[in-house]
Amino acid sequence: MNYQNAQGDRRPVDPRTGKPIGPMAQPGYYPGFSTLSQQKFWDAKTRDVVLDRVNNVPPIRFFSPEEAKLLEAICDRVLPQDDRDQAHKIPIVPQIDKRLYENSHDGYRYVDMPPDRDAFRLGLRGIQEIAQQQYGSGFLDLGPREQDEILQSLHDGKPSAGHEIWKKMAVHHFWLMLVSDCAEAYYSHPWAWDEIGFGGPAYPRAYMRLERGEAEPWESEEERYEWEPPANSLSGKYELVAGRVEHFGSPAQGGTH
Amino acid sequence: MKAPLWGEFRSQKRKSHMLGPIQRIETPMHRFPEGEEVDYVIVGVGAGGGVVLQRLARAGFRVIGFDAGPFWDTERDWVSDEKGAHNLYWNDLRITAGQHPLAFGANNSGKGVGGGTVHWASFAPRLHPSDFRIRSEDGVGFDWPITYSDLKPYYELLELELPVSGPSYFPWGDPHGYPYAPHPMGGVGDVLIQGCTKLGIRVSAGGPVAILEGSRADRPHCIYRGFCIQGCKVGAKASTLITHVPDAIGNGAEIRANCMVSRIHLGENRRVTGVSYFDPEGREHFQKAKAVIVAGYSIETPRLLLNSACPGFENGLANSSDCVGRYLMAQAGNVVLGRFEELVRMYKAPPAHALTEEFYETDPKRGFARGFAIQTVGPLPIAFSKQMMTAKGAWGWGLRSVMMDYNHWAAFGFLGEILPNAENRVQLAEEKDQFGIPIAKVTFNLYDNDKKLIEYGKNKTMEVMWAAGAQEVVQEARYAHLVGAARMGDDPATSVVDQFGRTHDITNLFICDGSIMPTQGSANPGLTIMALAARVADCLISQGEKIFNSNERDMQRPPMRRDLSPPDTWGHGMPTFSS
Ligand SMILES: Cc1cc2nc3c(=O)[nH]c(=O)nc-3n(C[C@H](O)[C@H](O)[C@H](O)COP(=O)(O)OP(=O)(O)OC[C@H]3O[C@@H](n4cnc5c(N)ncnc54)[C@H](O)[C@@H]3O)c2cc1C
Ligand code: SF4
Repeated sequence: MNYQNAQGDRRPVDPRTGKPIGPMAQPGYYPGFSTLSQQKFWDAKTRDVVLDRVNNVPPIRFFSPEEAKLLEAICDRVLPQDDRDQAHKIPIVPQIDKRLYENSHDGYRYVDMPPDRDAFRLGLRGIQEIAQQQYGSGFLDLGPREQDEILQSLHDGKPSAGHEIWKKMAVHHFWLMLVSDCAEAYYSHPWAWDEIGFGGPAYPRAYMRLERGEAEPWESEEERYEWEPPANSLSGKYELVAGRVEHFGSPAQGGTH
Repeated sequence: MKAPLWGEFRSQKRKSHMLGPIQRIETPMHRFPEGEEVDYVIVGVGAGGGVVLQRLARAGFRVIGFDAGPFWDTERDWVSDEKGAHNLYWNDLRITAGQHPLAFGANNSGKGVGGGTVHWASFAPRLHPSDFRIRSEDGVGFDWPITYSDLKPYYELLELELPVSGPSYFPWGDPHGYPYAPHPMGGVGDVLIQGCTKLGIRVSAGGPVAILEGSRADRPHCIYRGFCIQGCKVGAKASTLITHVPDAIGNGAEIRANCMVSRIHLGENRRVTGVSYFDPEGREHFQKAKAVIVAGYSIETPRLLLNSACPGFENGLANSSDCVGRYLMAQAGNVVLGRFEELVRMYKAPPAHALTEEFYETDPKRGFARGFAIQTVGPLPIAFSKQMMTAKGAWGWGLRSVMMDYNHWAAFGFLGEILPNAENRVQLAEEKDQFGIPIAKVTFNLYDNDKKLIEYGKNKTMEVMWAAGAQEVVQEARYAHLVGAARMGDDPATSVVDQFGRTHDITNLFICDGSIMPTQGSANPGLTIMALAARVADCLISQGEKIFNSNERDMQRPPMRRDLSPPDTWGHGMPTFSS
């Protein structure tokens, strides 16, 4: 455990030196790997869709400016990007806003949930109420540790305030939706593909090295580095959502087979 | 049953419609004039609807296939991108309830011509002979009104039509071989083989999957790009959009895409007269038909029947048994994920490429009825991130960290049989959709046998992952492949349709999709749905006009029409082992 990392420093640390890591253009273990550099090998439609995602960040139309600011602070903890430099942060809130503005969803709603639009608004209010109850101030004015404590309580299914709100919607379903939305915005971005070494679109060129994790000639080998979440964060450890151990519990949100 | 009239292909501005880089539909599509009565209206052109549409068209019937979604032009509409494939799924709202609520959207059904076969992984195993008689053999579930041997010739036929690649000897159920070559292994397949081999479990490598290993006619071979669930732009993976619909159009069928059927109408003499539907501009029309076939998936099919309630059928059309919407099944589809020291890169190769059915049959020693399969899956980054969220509870830095290890993980899909239960059902919610039609509410609970089976099966799947050398193994609950909710049977009091998909209540109303399956086994349902559809089609064709002008129910087994397959079915492939 290192304490050099000041209260306010939100960057991850190098465990050997205790020094913060970043900000940098491309975190992850595949330095120099760029899916976008391969775009001329993609089909035109895929290229249009991916480049549009990168170049045209949608404007905020659903949330009010205050709501957007609050959600921004929440997403900064749910999917922290403090190791990325300003020019390479992946926009999350604009994607969530776009989804809600267009009223698009995944084709279902849990019976204990209001429509997604209402759920987000209620969730923001609930988070503010917890902040007020626990710390006597708004979420935006809190340090990273306090912010994480609030989010952790949602993750655990044990919010300390806002009970009227959580009566209207199941805490863990809201939490799964919030994390899913952040993850979808982040991992649909080619910079995130570069970070994790995912090869990205491959039509019409194809993959030809299928086994033993071998890289295509245009992919990169892995070069790992050690890092740890900052000491003031709570999200580095893994605990099941709402403490569920029963394996029938939180159902999967993605399609596989 | 007139010769087709040729009209303009209206669904696209361009004359040619691309189905892959080579395959195209050039022929103008037939259009039936407004107000004209057709022989058959088919609601939904997915797995079941696509096959029955093609057969009827080839046999010369006048038929329209309605689909609520688009008629995909794969070159112009589809992408190699996980998020960009969102529009392939049925994203209209459904309410999900019960103690173990199902997730829909990307987890379930398609919308658009080809239906779920557009985004299926295309594992294409057959059911086992025991699946047709689990009530008799295991004292659970329900017996089918047909046996494996009734369906076997149709399995063989569809394995040639799609076609299905796999090993030339497949040891489980009724052992058989596949006519097309198995696929090379990807990283996850290697892991499955390694784990199974360590434990002495037999495993099938390279199939059975409905993916071309070599090019055939106007369809290219697989390029191992791993985006099967996002729609195969290459055209290597079978979907009825590319395997059956082009032949249907070539034989005079009309596809009415982006048209949502809202109601089936009952006329005199307990016969249906046609359907109401909303066209792409939202205007409501009536299409007259001599018979109606519903093939809208296990949620939309019961929804449409329930929404078509009318005097005489207050509980829903063809629902005198109160079975419409009931006995809905999903397979337990837990995903088991293992982290390895070495890189795997599971995004390459089709997600579906190896499986074992070693645990498929009932084993009394395990303390529950029926069994499960273990299969390869290959989640792309977004799906994987959500798996880490549920399986490990990852968020924040923990999520970032485990995602940086994406290339070290491999994933198996467990596929377990959940037994039919009357309380697992589709009902109508208060809420309405954009057309003013009440939406579906789905209630799902696991029962004792299901829970025991899942507990055992997920542990066994994890054991295989450990045996393959994983350093860490986690899993998430999941459900896949909805079937049932309008099951077939001999007794009109306990089932909705007979063995030919004909509703017990109404002689010119049929159901031809996964809804009619009384049980599901642990095989992915697509091939069975298509085989059943080909059998339903043979019945319709052999009875000809009788269906249109009589209420007599002829239960004779129809002759099999091998001559109605799409072109290129015959004269290719390997001679295969058959018991
Ligand atoms: C991610 C994923 C992977 C899968 N992998 C496999 C696999 O590997 N192997 C396998 O066998 N199965 C797989 N499946 C399941 C398979 O796709 C389905 O079981 C199968 O497609 C169901 O066939 P169906 O005919 O019942 O309905 P569908 O194929 O879903 O077709 C129904 C069609 O009806 C249309 N429709 C519905 N209602 C209306 C209406 N009112 N008006 C007009 N049109 C309407 C829909 O738009 C749709 O096109 C997978 C599914 C998913 C989600
Ligand atoms: S892996 Fe093969 S079958 Fe799957 S999408 Fe790619 S080319 Fe098509």
